[in-house]
Amino acid sequence: MIMESLQTVLNGLRRSLAAPSRTPRMAVVIGRLLGIAFLLCFGTGLFSHFLQDPLPWMVFPTRPVFLYQVTQGIHITAGILCFPLLFAKLYIVFPELFQTPAVRSFPHFLERASIAVFVSTSIVQIVTGLLNTYQWYALFPFPFRQTHYALSFVIVGSLAIHIAVKLDVIAKHWRSSAGAVAEPVEAPGISARSITGLATRPTLTSSHTRNAVIRVEGVTGRLFAWIDSTPRPELRTSRRGFLAIVGVASAAVVALTAGQSFRLLDGANLFGARKQGVGPNSLPVNRTATAAKVRDAASDPAWALTVSNGATSATFTRAELLALPQREVELPIACVEGWSQTATWRGVRLGDLVDSVGGRGGSSIRATSLEQNSSYAIMHMGPEYVRDDLTLVALELNGETLDLDHGYPARMIAPGRPGVLQTKWLSTLEVL
Amino acid sequence: MTAIRRWQIALVAVGVLLLLLGGLTLINDVNPKRYLGLAAWLLGALVIHDGIISLTVFGANVAMRKTGGRLRIPLPALLILQGALVVAGIMTLIVVPAALKKSIGTGNDTLLPLDYGLHLVVFYAALAVVTALSLAVYAVVRRRRRPVRSA
Repeated sequence: MIMESLQTVLNGLRRSLAAPSRTPRMAVVIGRLLGIAFLLCFGTGLFSHFLQDPLPWMVFPTRPVFLYQVTQGIHITAGILCFPLLFAKLYIVFPELFQTPAVRSFPHFLERASIAVFVSTSIVQIVTGLLNTYQWYALFPFPFRQTHYALSFVIVGSLAIHIAVKLDVIAKHWRSSAGAVAEPVEAPGISARSITGLATRPTLTSSHTRNAVIRVEGVTGRLFAWIDSTPRPELRTSRRGFLAIVGVASAAVVALTAGQSFRLLDGANLFGARKQGVGPNSLPVNRTATAAKVRDAASDPAWALTVSNGATSATFTRAELLALPQREVELPIACVEGWSQTATWRGVRLGDLVDSVGGRGGSSIRATSLEQNSSYAIMHMGPEYVRDDLTLVALELNGETLDLDHGYPARMIAPGRPGVLQTKWLSTLEVL
Repeated sequence: MTAIRRWQIALVAVGVLLLLLGGLTLINDVNPKRYLGLAAWLLGALVIHDGIISLTVFGANVAMRKTGGRLRIPLPALLILQGALVVAGIMTLIVVPAALKKSIGTGNDTLLPLDYGLHLVVFYAALAVVTALSLAVYAVVRRRRRPVRSA
């Protein structure tokens, strides 16, 4: 009896939630866009992951120099775009939450469970991703990078299963057709009359439990009847309106934040976590010298860079580095958090330093920072970057001496690599 | 076997593989002590979205339709108003955490360098102006259409 009344409530809820924009066709339209955004995030995320933790055989392109700037900019921007798209998709399918019977069979249970996993991991992924760009780590009781990486596989796996389960519906509604968009989905086997019929008061019985159920049905019945008497919106206008709202919301979140990654939108950057040109040497900073606890070591006048190749080694003070042939390059610094900015760097070509200790063509290097207790204090660089003409041990930035927060006395800058690998406060370079 | 069926099998196989890979990565890379916190976040996301946000949106939608019906507000006008609320709501969700984090303090001055609270107020104001203009344009279009129909 209780199950029956629960079912009535669920059916009523589903009916009341039915709206012109809540159709399979709309789910396909928004789902396609969301699927593309998810896959863009996944692909660019994997690229960023393997740049930082390459498998032994991996070699990366160094051109175009803005490659990582663009892929990571897309990663963060598409992630922000997922907010309106995911909300729209969940809005469309929300009535499905109240389907009855809640579980029809074991496969149906698996389907619903996989959707629950899909929805919750998707929400957690984009929310923690956004909070990571604000560096608000204290909010989550798990390590960001590792969790973000693991969840990305769970999400794309759930996406594949979700597409498989819904493939019939997707194929049917892939193209718009007049017949397919006529009516919104409605709860099966439930008519408006059977809902509104509950609004009239049934007679109470001698059973206490039954009376309680009748009372509940009476209240919910009247509530649903009240909702159902709401004027039904005109279908076509409603759907166009829905799509327009999703479009405007998407355009707004992208236009007002993507300036942190794309120079073209800098003027509209009202809400980005970073602003181009803001910071020492007119460039944002990710980790300061104070946070890295290198302030004293990096300002020490006795600092010298040690370059070694097996038994051969050489040391260079900053003055000695400045006395070597200098090269000026225009390269972007692009952070894993999505912000990026092109800057003018001046310093010694890494290849020249490797040559000075007899390094050969195909050698890679290990760079060590003065920084302690950081997973990025030691950085490996493959030969494709070591021998690139644009890779520098930079001493100046945007026409000024490198700021302490940007890696003074010397830092690495190479084309197409994440900011965390552009090691600051260099201490040693070992040819491997 | 139909083409759709073959695709379904392939997709489920790929999906299960990726799920396994995700699970293994989690087990390898994340300390088990953190699982409870992660589970709380995953469950919390469902509760906050399905239980609070969606039902609030539903309630607001019904209330607006009711009021719109009573005041005879035409549907497109209602949609413009709803759209403005949705856009404002999503922007609020994205920007308020930035403003909060900035007020708590950041690692350095170049992280969250903007005045997010002020910008959000400016955004609301601009949105209100655009919404009012859209309503005005709609009212004009509607008035112009009417005589044509009666003629």
